[in-house]
Amino acid sequence: MGERDPGAVARVITSAGTVADAHADTRDDARADICLLVEGTYPFVPGGVSSWVHDIILGHPDLKFSVVNIGSHPEAYGAPRFKMPENAVALHRVFCQEARAPALDGRARAELTEQIRLTRARADARTSESRMLAAFRRIHLTQDASLEVIDDLASGDLSIAELLHGRASFALFSELAEQLAPDAPFLDLFWHLRAMHVPLLRVLATPPARAAGYHAVATGYAGLLAAVWSRRTGRPLMITEHGIYSRERDMELARAEWIEDRRPGVDDTARTWAPQISPLRRVWSRFFRTLSRLAYQQAWRIVTLSDVNRRKQLDDGAPAEKIEIVPNGVVLRDSADASAVADASLGEDDAGASEVIPLPLRRPKLRVGFVGRVVPIKDVVTFVKACDLALRSVDLDVRIIGPVDEDPGYVARCRALVERLGRQEQIRFVGPKPPSEIYGDLDLVALTSFSEGQPLVMLEAYACGVPVLATDVGACREMIEGRTAEDRALGASGIVCPVASPTRTAEALVRLAHDERLRRRMGHAGQRRVTNYYQRRTMLASYRALYGALVTS
Amino acid sequence: MIDHGSLTGAIGAYLTGVAVTSAPWLLTTTVLMSLRVLARHQGATAFRSIEQLLTIIYALTVVLSAPVHVVVSRYTADRLYDRRLGSIPAPLRRALAVTLVGFAAIGAVTMLVLRMPLLVATAGTLVTVVVGSQWLMLSVGGGMTSPVTVLHAFGLGAPLSLIAPIAFERIFRPGFDTGAAGYLFGFGLGQLVTLVILFHGVLRALPRESDESARLWPAFTEYKLLAASALAYYMSIWIDKVVVYIVMGHTAAALYAAVSALAWFSVIPAFGWIYVQIETVFYRRFRAFYDDLEGGAPLRQLRARAESITAETARILRGAGLVQAAVTLVALVSAPFLMRLAGLSPDAVLPFRLAVVGAALQVITLLLILVLYYFDLRRDAFLMSAALLVAEAGFTLACWALGWPAAIGYTAACALTCAVGVVLVRRRLGTLLVDTFQSQPFAGRL
Repeated sequence: MGERDPGAVARVITSAGTVADAHADTRDDARADICLLVEGTYPFVPGGVSSWVHDIILGHPDLKFSVVNIGSHPEAYGAPRFKMPENAVALHRVFCQEARAPALDGRARAELTEQIRLTRARADARTSESRMLAAFRRIHLTQDASLEVIDDLASGDLSIAELLHGRASFALFSELAEQLAPDAPFLDLFWHLRAMHVPLLRVLATPPARAAGYHAVATGYAGLLAAVWSRRTGRPLMITEHGIYSRERDMELARAEWIEDRRPGVDDTARTWAPQISPLRRVWSRFFRTLSRLAYQQAWRIVTLSDVNRRKQLDDGAPAEKIEIVPNGVVLRDSADASAVADASLGEDDAGASEVIPLPLRRPKLRVGFVGRVVPIKDVVTFVKACDLALRSVDLDVRIIGPVDEDPGYVARCRALVERLGRQEQIRFVGPKPPSEIYGDLDLVALTSFSEGQPLVMLEAYACGVPVLATDVGACREMIEGRTAEDRALGASGIVCPVASPTRTAEALVRLAHDERLRRRMGHAGQRRVTNYYQRRTMLASYRALYGALVTS
Repeated sequence: MIDHGSLTGAIGAYLTGVAVTSAPWLLTTTVLMSLRVLARHQGATAFRSIEQLLTIIYALTVVLSAPVHVVVSRYTADRLYDRRLGSIPAPLRRALAVTLVGFAAIGAVTMLVLRMPLLVATAGTLVTVVVGSQWLMLSVGGGMTSPVTVLHAFGLGAPLSLIAPIAFERIFRPGFDTGAAGYLFGFGLGQLVTLVILFHGVLRALPRESDESARLWPAFTEYKLLAASALAYYMSIWIDKVVVYIVMGHTAAALYAAVSALAWFSVIPAFGWIYVQIETVFYRRFRAFYDDLEGGAPLRQLRARAESITAETARILRGAGLVQAAVTLVALVSAPFLMRLAGLSPDAVLPFRLAVVGAALQVITLLLILVLYYFDLRRDAFLMSAALLVAEAGFTLACWALGWPAAIGYTAACALTCAVGVVLVRRRLGTLLVDTFQSQPFAGRL
């Protein structure tokens, strides 16, 4: 299977001239068999999901894929991090926001004011009620995720300008304020509602990409766009969720500093107890959850990675009969296409090919690796704190292996923490490395994430006989303790820790550092587990069957 | 003062309002009228032509400097608001230079067109430059200096503008065979003193550091509707007089202008009342709305604030209407007496009565325009000003064609614009909340 120069993608991007500023790099005009819709990830961001998408495209050379990447704004992403395989016939880019506008001078401000006045006049002259606006009302007030709502959203009868400046949209915003957040600062709510719906309108204005079937690799904006396209074209939709989108957004919202927890007329800064949680977090959370439900509603099949995630999807309103569990898989040494996957990710992602290697020998220091992007959701801070605590009683050689360019602020914070703790010698940031160079040099992999789907890192570590210490998120527990009775009989392949607990994580580190026999046993269990249940060929076989049904549907 | 709750406090507040809103033009008008009386008393016939010339100079400077005045005021207010005082001195300096050169040219051309003798033309040009520069200083000084500085400037300049012309007329008359230039030089000296005091006050208020890259021109493009509105409004003050002059001749125009000037005195109490109410209760409610908005008030509180602004606007309109109605009534009843006092013929009584009613409506119109300015509704303010201008010109012409007194046209124009203004302000305040939010750009774009 041939691959293209990643630079070529960036060079040939052309504006499709749609309202949503969709950009398309189209290799040929032929309709794709599968249109993959991703949010932010492939091929611009390294990581587990991107690697998985790449594997899926590579693993189905007989199918033609197009990729729709929904990004935040044009400046947010650099060059592609993956070489697009030959069977990826098109890359469409859709942005939630426009490129940043330059500062306006007096003339430009006056022109903008006049444009807004004319837009308002046109918007207010409208006589028919917007179906999209009606859909927004139902999404927020009743969390209605019916097909009628998707049809209303697919009508495309509301422009961004009408939303921003029309009287009808202000009436809706006022109604939402009264119903959902009567005590919230209205100015904040107003801007949040704008920020919530403008990206939606931009995304939904994108004309459907031609494909026999749509496969959204998340719910959210990607899932909703796929659902709308599916309704418009009559082509089926399949969803694969690695992490649970609504839950991940909830976690982000809980920590979001762009939502101010203030109350009008109350100075909360002097309080010693937690301030009142802003109802805006709830508004956002309900919004994302309903987006997920809308995508679930239209989906023909919903694929999830683990039973834990399946239960969360059920809680979020996914119909049980549509859900299918297909775990991720890795390539073992004797797999024919191992080298293709190993080379695919430009060496900066935390996934790819792995091979079974002999169990590690006893060494004076326990070599602990955090493998992943240094970003807040991975909670590297807790990992560093836990290592610091463990280092007080055992000798560790800690490496943080993974890209450090996604969130420089967070990376700086982590580095500063290491420095403040005086652990520069023991805890090192080594940057991204090819998977083949990672696990043979580790005794233990630790994952302290706030959220995970089914981490490929764990499977790669297992493939190399390295036990894993992971937080109790996503499928981590069942990957460590086993999903079925037969699986559980293999024994634990690591230790599960609570989220954001440096103490408990440190205790586990100390325990594993002291007990080499336990590590060996866990490493063996992990190897057997990945061989039995998490092979890439098994995963691809499942998707081949699903795609077959999707394309012929 | 008004917050003290005492009678003296209230009287002091309203007198301050009268002084701030009316003192400059009141003092200038008083000086010109006194000069006429003194000149007549001394048998100085040259003053008659000078009075006409001064009227033209004032009309020109007021109308032509109005757009500059309003844009510079707004620019200064914006810089005060965003605390970038250093961006004021350089543009002001350049604007002053342009004003000096520009009004010198305007003055010279005007003198040329009026075929004035060289000495009178020189004096007239100087007066044009001084008065034009005064307007520029007033536009900055209004926001940056205390009202006392402005009152001080006009308070000292006015007596000198009265004494100096008489003295200069005596100096010039024997040597140059004309007292006209003497009047102008003397009057110009008094006005120059006013300008210097204003200039000094503004200089003291300006910061030491100056951002030389700051430019005023972009403000003209941004606030072009404000500039156009000011131009239209100030043109409307003169347009009826110009129309009367063109179609009815000099005598009718002189009588009409005198009657209009006297009628305009009737708005002084309402001006004072409006100033105090706008600067106190209305301003507080206006600020409360925006403070609540920025301070995180919920929707119901913002709605209540918006409603209170509407209620307050209605109250001020009613109050101004009542004050003006009382003064108008007195003026209507005492019109014959007032005309005799001013030395005007009994034929002036009817035009005066009509003009008084027109002035009453115009002051309400002005209040409505001010309210529109307050909410930055420039386009509406421009439409009202333009409507007033067009209606005055059109109705005055129509009155001439029908053989009716010209003042009927003026009054009808003010009535029409006032009615349009009431509807407009009512509608805009009714949608204050939605307009405030939905007029906001998003990410610097539509």
